[in-house]
Amino acid sequence: MVVSPVHLIAAPLAAAFLIPLLNKLYRDAARVVPGVVFLYNLSVSWILVNRVFRSGPIVEVIAGWKPPFGINLVMTPFSAVLVMLVSFMAFVIWLYGFRFKRSLKGGVVMYYEILQMMMAAGSLGIILTGDLFNMFVFVEITGITAIALTAFYRDRDGAEAGFKYMLLGSMASVFLLLGILLIYTQTGSLNMAQIAERMPAVATGVKVTALIFLLISLGTEAEMFPLNGWAPDAYSQAPSPTSAAFAAVLGVAAIYALARVGFTLYDHGTVSGFLIAMGFLTMLFAEMAAITQTNLKRMLAYSSMGQMGLAMIAFGIGSEAALFGALFLIINHAIIKSLLFMTGSYFIYNLNDKRLRALNGIHKRLPYVSFLFALGALAIVGFPPFSGFWSKFYILTAAGAKQMMPLIIGILAVTVIEMTYYLRVIGRIYFAKEESEPASHKPSIQALVAMTSLAVLIIVLGLYPDLIAGFLHRASMFLLDKQTYIQTVLHLS
Amino acid sequence: MGIIYVLGILIIGALAAFFVDDLNRKWTGPVAMLAGFGAAAAFAFLPGGIVRWRILGFSMHWETDALAGFFAWIVLGLSALALMYSVKYMEGKARQGYFYASFLTSVAGMFGVAVSKDLLSFFIFWEIMTWTSFLLAIYNAYYGVETKGIKYIIFSAIGAYAMLTAIVLALGQYHSLEFSDLMAAGAFRFSSGNWYIPVLLLLGFAVKAAVLPLHVWAPAVYPKTPMSFTAVFSGAMSKMGILGMLLILTGIFRSATGWELTLVRWVLGWLGGLTAAWATLQAIRQNDAKDLLAWSSVAQLGYIVTAVSTGTRLGLMAALYLALLHAAFKGSLFMVAGAVEKQAGTTDFRRISGLIKRMPWTFLTALIAIISLAGIPPLGGFVGKWLLYESLISETHAYFLVILIFFASTSAFLYSYRFLFGLFLGQEEEEAKQITEVSWWMLIPMLALSAVSVVTGMYPGLIFRPAARALESIGLPAGQWDMSILSNVWGNQTDVFTVGSTVGILFVLWALFITFKGKKNTRWLTTKEISTSGEIPAPEDNCTFQRGFFQPFERAVGRLYRSSMDQLWEDIGAALEAFFGFIRKIYTGNAQTYAMYVIIFVVLLILFRNYIF
Amino acid sequence: MTGNWLIELTGIVLTALLAFTVGMFYGGLRRKVIARAQNRVGPPVYQNFLDLLKLQGKTTNVTHGLMTHLAPVWVLVAAITALLFIPVLHGGLWFPNFTFKGDLIFLLYLMVMGSLGMALGVGETGNPNGAIGVSRGLSLITGYEIPFVLSLVAIMIQFHTTSLTDLMHYQQATGHWIARENPFAFLAALFSVLGMFHYSPFDIIGAPAELASGPMSEFGGKYLGSLMTGGSIFAFVKLVLITDLFLGGAGHPDAYTGAAGVLLGLVELVIKTFLLYMIPVSIGIVMPRFRTEQAVRFFWRWPLLFGALGIIWAVFWK
Repeated sequence: MVVSPVHLIAAPLAAAFLIPLLNKLYRDAARVVPGVVFLYNLSVSWILVNRVFRSGPIVEVIAGWKPPFGINLVMTPFSAVLVMLVSFMAFVIWLYGFRFKRSLKGGVVMYYEILQMMMAAGSLGIILTGDLFNMFVFVEITGITAIALTAFYRDRDGAEAGFKYMLLGSMASVFLLLGILLIYTQTGSLNMAQIAERMPAVATGVKVTALIFLLISLGTEAEMFPLNGWAPDAYSQAPSPTSAAFAAVLGVAAIYALARVGFTLYDHGTVSGFLIAMGFLTMLFAEMAAITQTNLKRMLAYSSMGQMGLAMIAFGIGSEAALFGALFLIINHAIIKSLLFMTGSYFIYNLNDKRLRALNGIHKRLPYVSFLFALGALAIVGFPPFSGFWSKFYILTAAGAKQMMPLIIGILAVTVIEMTYYLRVIGRIYFAKEESEPASHKPSIQALVAMTSLAVLIIVLGLYPDLIAGFLHRASMFLLDKQTYIQTVLHLS
Repeated sequence: MGIIYVLGILIIGALAAFFVDDLNRKWTGPVAMLAGFGAAAAFAFLPGGIVRWRILGFSMHWETDALAGFFAWIVLGLSALALMYSVKYMEGKARQGYFYASFLTSVAGMFGVAVSKDLLSFFIFWEIMTWTSFLLAIYNAYYGVETKGIKYIIFSAIGAYAMLTAIVLALGQYHSLEFSDLMAAGAFRFSSGNWYIPVLLLLGFAVKAAVLPLHVWAPAVYPKTPMSFTAVFSGAMSKMGILGMLLILTGIFRSATGWELTLVRWVLGWLGGLTAAWATLQAIRQNDAKDLLAWSSVAQLGYIVTAVSTGTRLGLMAALYLALLHAAFKGSLFMVAGAVEKQAGTTDFRRISGLIKRMPWTFLTALIAIISLAGIPPLGGFVGKWLLYESLISETHAYFLVILIFFASTSAFLYSYRFLFGLFLGQEEEEAKQITEVSWWMLIPMLALSAVSVVTGMYPGLIFRPAARALESIGLPAGQWDMSILSNVWGNQTDVFTVGSTVGILFVLWALFITFKGKKNTRWLTTKEISTSGEIPAPEDNCTFQRGFFQPFERAVGRLYRSSMDQLWEDIGAALEAFFGFIRKIYTGNAQTYAMYVIIFVVLLILFRNYIF
Repeated sequence: MTGNWLIELTGIVLTALLAFTVGMFYGGLRRKVIARAQNRVGPPVYQNFLDLLKLQGKTTNVTHGLMTHLAPVWVLVAAITALLFIPVLHGGLWFPNFTFKGDLIFLLYLMVMGSLGMALGVGETGNPNGAIGVSRGLSLITGYEIPFVLSLVAIMIQFHTTSLTDLMHYQQATGHWIARENPFAFLAALFSVLGMFHYSPFDIIGAPAELASGPMSEFGGKYLGSLMTGGSIFAFVKLVLITDLFLGGAGHPDAYTGAAGVLLGLVELVIKTFLLYMIPVSIGIVMPRFRTEQAVRFFWRWPLLFGALGIIWAVFWK
C-alpha cells in the first residue's frame, strides 16, 4: 500500500468532517471512528518511520507544485519520531476516553471526538509541514480546536479558561502572522528549506524582529514564561483526555515548531541563550507555583509547564546529547503526563472533588489506579529505574559537558521542589486517612488498557532505554544538520 | 555472577512479598525473610565476580572487591537479621506486602551502592535506596509523619542532586564515570581545579551520614519508621555515606601530605566532632527511647566521620570497625526498642519502666549493646573508640578535637544509662503485669548482634582482617593487625584478650562469692519495697524517677540547649513556602494581565534584541 | 598469661590485698582526720575493717534484682582490673601484672565501667532517690572527666606515649616529676581528682541530708560491704594513678633492690598517696556543697582552662 505523510493529516481531517454523517447511520460512530482513524495513523506512521530511518527523509509534494513554490510535507528522522509519538498518544488517549462521558448524549460526544481528531490532525500537520504559512494554518487549526475543547464543559470555569486561551492564542496568531510576513518580504519564500537557505542574507534587524515574533507565538503554545498564563486554566478545565492531549499532542507539536524555527530557519546559536534562559524561568516559576497548588489538575498543569521549560533548556543547550535528552524528555513527558492526567481524572471522577486533600487514602478504593499514579509521579521526577531518569540525566550530562554548573544546580534545585509536591501527593494517596466518601466508578477496560500500556512503557524504557536510543540519536543528529534538510527538500525541485 | 544473584533474589523477593500479601498475610514476612537470608547466602557462597554492561552509552561496572564486600556484609547481614526480626514485629499489621517490597528493594539498593564501581550505577542505586526508604518512612500513618518524611526526602534529594551535579560535571570533564579512571585523573582532588566535584559529592554523602548541619532528618524519621527497618536504616544505610566518603577521599589520603589533607581533617573532622557532641546533647534530653536512639545514631556517625577524616592507618581502621560495630549494636538497640514497643505499646520513658523482669533477654541485648555503644571494655565498641583516640592523638595531632570527641563520648554515658534505666529499671507499671518477653524470632537476631559486640571485644582481629583488606583494595595504608592486641604508632599496646578474660574471670569469681556468701540470708525484694522514710509505695504508685532526669546536666549546658538546628531549617522552609506563594501570584488568573505580560515581553525583547540574539 | 601462672596469680592477689589494705586504712584515716578537724576523737584508724566485718556478717541481706545483686561485683571487677594495669612500683620491684598490656586510654574507659554497673544496680532498686543520685553522678562525670582527659592528653603528647610504664620510666630516668614538667596538666588533674572522690564540694551525689544517701540508699549487708571493698581498692587505684603520672611513682629499683627496695618503695608510695589523698580530704572538710550544675560548670571553667593550657604547654615544650 502506498502510504505517504499526507495520509496522517488527511485521515483524521476527513473523518472529522464525515463523522456527523456517519453518526446518522450508526449512533456510536462518533466513539468508534476516531479509534479506527488513529489506529490507521499509527500503522502509517510506523511504516513511514521505518522508511525514513532506512532510506532517509521523505519529502512529499502536495498538489504537484514542487517546492519551493508548493506546499510540501517533510518527514525527517526528527519529525518522524515525534509523528510516531503523537500518533501513538492520540490512539492511547482515544482508547482511554472511549467510555468518556457515557451519560452524555451522542451529540455532545460527537463534538468532542471531532475536535480531538482535528487537534491531532493539526498537530501532525505542524510537525510534518515544510511550509511556513502552512504551519500557520495548522497552528490555527490546533489552537481553535484546543480552545473549543478547553471550554467543552459549558460551565463558568471552562468558559473562563477558554477565554484566556483564546485571548493569548489570538495574540500568538497575530504575532505568528507578522513574523511570517516579515520573513516573506525579506526572503521571498514561504518554504522552510528555502527560507533557511536565504536567511543568512537577511538584514539582522528584520531577521531578529521576525524571530522574536515567531518565538512569542510559538512560545505561547509551548507554554513559555511569561506567555503561559492560559495553561493552568486550560489543563485543569478541559476534559481529562484533552488535558492529556495538551501534553502529549499539542505540546509536542508546539515544541517541535520552536525547534524547527530555532534550528532550521535560524541558527541555533542565536536562540540558544534565549531558550536556556526562558526555559529555566519557565521551569522555575512553574514548579514554584506547582508546589502551592491545592487542586490536582492545576498542579499537574504547572508541572507540565515545568517540563516544557526543561525541554526548552535542552534545546537551548543544543549539543547532540542535549537534543537526544530533549527528545527523550518530550517522549517521556507525553507518556508520563498523560498517565498522570488519566489516573488523576479517575480520582476526581470518583471523588467529585478536585482538591488534593480529597485524595487522602484513596488507594483503598482504587488500588491499581493509585499505583499507576504513584508510578507516574516517581517517573516524572526522575527516579531511577524509570524512564524519566534517563531523559533528565542525559540533559544534565549535556550541560555537564559544557560545564554549565549554575544551570545544573538550578535544574536540580527545581527538581527538588517538583519531587516534594509529587511525593506529598503519593503520601496522601497511600497513607492519609480518608476524608471524603468516594463513589466507586471503576475505570473502564479501555482506560485500564490505555493506562497500563503507558505504565509498561515507562518501566520498559526505564530498564532498557537502548530500545529507542538509536532512533533518537539519529533524530537529534538530523535536527542539527540544517544543510541536509535544505538540500533534501530543495533537491527535489 | 554472584552480584546478579543477590540482586535478583532481593528483587524477586520484593515482588513475591508484595503479591503474597494478598494471598495470605501470614506468609509475607517469612517470604521476605527467606529472600533476605537467600541474598546473604548467595553473597557468601557464590563468587562475586564482575558485572559490566552498557546502557544508553554509559558503562556500568559492579564488582565485589574487598571494600565492597565489607560494606555488603554489613548490609546483607544486618538486613537478613532485621527481616527475621520483622516477621514477628510486623505481625498483624496492614500493608505488609508494601512494607516488605520496599524493604527488600531498599536492601537491593544498598547492596548495589556497595558494589558499584562507577558513579552512574552508584547514583542509580543510591536513588533507589532513598525513595524506597522514603516509602517506609511514611508507612506509619501519615499525619505528623508527612512533614518528617518530606523533610527526609528533601534533605536526601539535596544530597543526591549535589552528587548528580558532580557526576555530570565529572563526566563532562573527564569523559568517564569509573571510579578508577576518575581517581587516576585526580578528579576528586581539591587541587585539580574542579574542587566542586569532590565537595558536592561529599555534601551528598554527608547528608546520608547525618553530619551537622544536615542531620535534622534523622531524628525526625528514624523514630517514626517501623523499627525493623530503622535497624537497617540507621545501621546500614547511613554507612553508605561513609563508603562514599572513603572512595572520594582516597586520592587525598594517598597523597598523605599537603593542604588538601589538612583541609579534610580540619573541616570534616570538626564537623564530625560537632555532630557527635551536639547530637549527644540532644539525645540526653529525649524522653522516648526511639528519639534517643535516633540522636545517638547521629552522634555515633559523627565519630565515624571524624575517623574517616583522619585518613590515617588507625583512623580508617577505626572508621570501618566502628561502622560495622555500630550496625551491630545500633541495629540491636532499635530492635530492642521495637520489642518494647510491641509488648508494652510505647517506648516513652515516662509511661513505661521496670521491664527487666518481664523481658530479661531483651534487657540483656540492650545491656550488651549499650556497653558497646558507650565504648566500655571489654566489649567491641571500646576497640573502635580506642583506635579513634589513638589516631587523633598520635597521628593527626588533633588535640582539641580529641577533647570534643571525648566530651561527646562521656556525655554519651548519660543517654546510654537513660536508655537502660528508662525502659528496664525502676519500678514497674501496674498495667505492665501482663507483658511478656518477645518471641524467639525476634530474640535470636538481637542476641546474634549482641554476640558480635562480645566476640569482637576480645578478638577484634576478626574485623581487622577484612577491614585491612578493604583498605588495601583502594590503595590505602592498612598495616599489620593482631587478633587481640591493639597498638598505636608509638608502640603502646592494649591487649583486649587479656582485658576480656580478666574481667570475665574476676566477674565470675566475685559473682559466685557474693551469691553464695550468706545465700540463705539474702532476701529478694520487689522494687516497691524501698526505704523511703517508712512509707511503702502502693502498687499503683510508680515512683520511678523519669521526668527531668538530666535536669542538672541540662542546666549546666544551659544556653546551648536553646538553639536548634531544626528550627533553622523549619524557618528556611517556611520562608521558602512564603516565597513560592508569592511567585505563584505571577499567575494572576486574569486574562488581561496575561495579555499584558505578552506585550511587555515582546517590547522587552525588541528593545534588547541586540543583547539577546 | 605467659610464664609461670602461679607467680602471676600470686601477684594479682597480693596487689589486690595491698590495695585493699591501704585503701581501707586511708578511709579510716580520713574519718580520723575529719573528726579531729571537728574537734572530736573520731573512730580508730582501722574502723573501716570493723565496718566491713560487720556488714559481711549481717544476718539479712536485701536485694531488688539481679542487677542490684551484681552491682558490687561490677565495682569490684572494675577496680581490680584497673589495678592490675597500673604499675604499683617502679621497674621490676613489684609484680608487673598486666601493666604492659594496657594504656591510658584503656584505663580511662575502664574506670567508668564500675560506675555504670553501680548505676544499673541502683536503677533496679526502684528507689527514686537512688535514681536521682545516679543522674547527678553521671552529670558530674561529664564535669570532671574533661579536665582529666585534657591533662592526660597533654602529657601523652608531651612524651609521645600513651603507656603508663613509659611515663614512669621517664620520670625515674630523668628524676623529674611530670608535675613539674607540665604544671598545668597537674593542676587540671588535681581538680579532677577532687571530683572523682566525690568529697565536698562535689558530694551532691550521695549527700545524706539531701537525698537519703543517694545511690547507696538500698545497699546493705554484704552488698554494702563489697561496695566498700571495691570503693577502697578504687580509691587506691586513683591515687596510685595520679602518683605514677605526676609525682614520679614510687620505688627506686636502681638504688635499692630486693625486699628492701620493695619495702622502701611501698613506704614512698604510701607517703605520696597519702599526701595526695589529703588534698581532697582537707578540701572536703571545709567546703560546702555545690549543686550539680554548679559543679559541672565549675569543672568547665578553670580546670578546663588549665587543661587546655597544659596541652598548649605540651605542644610548645621542647
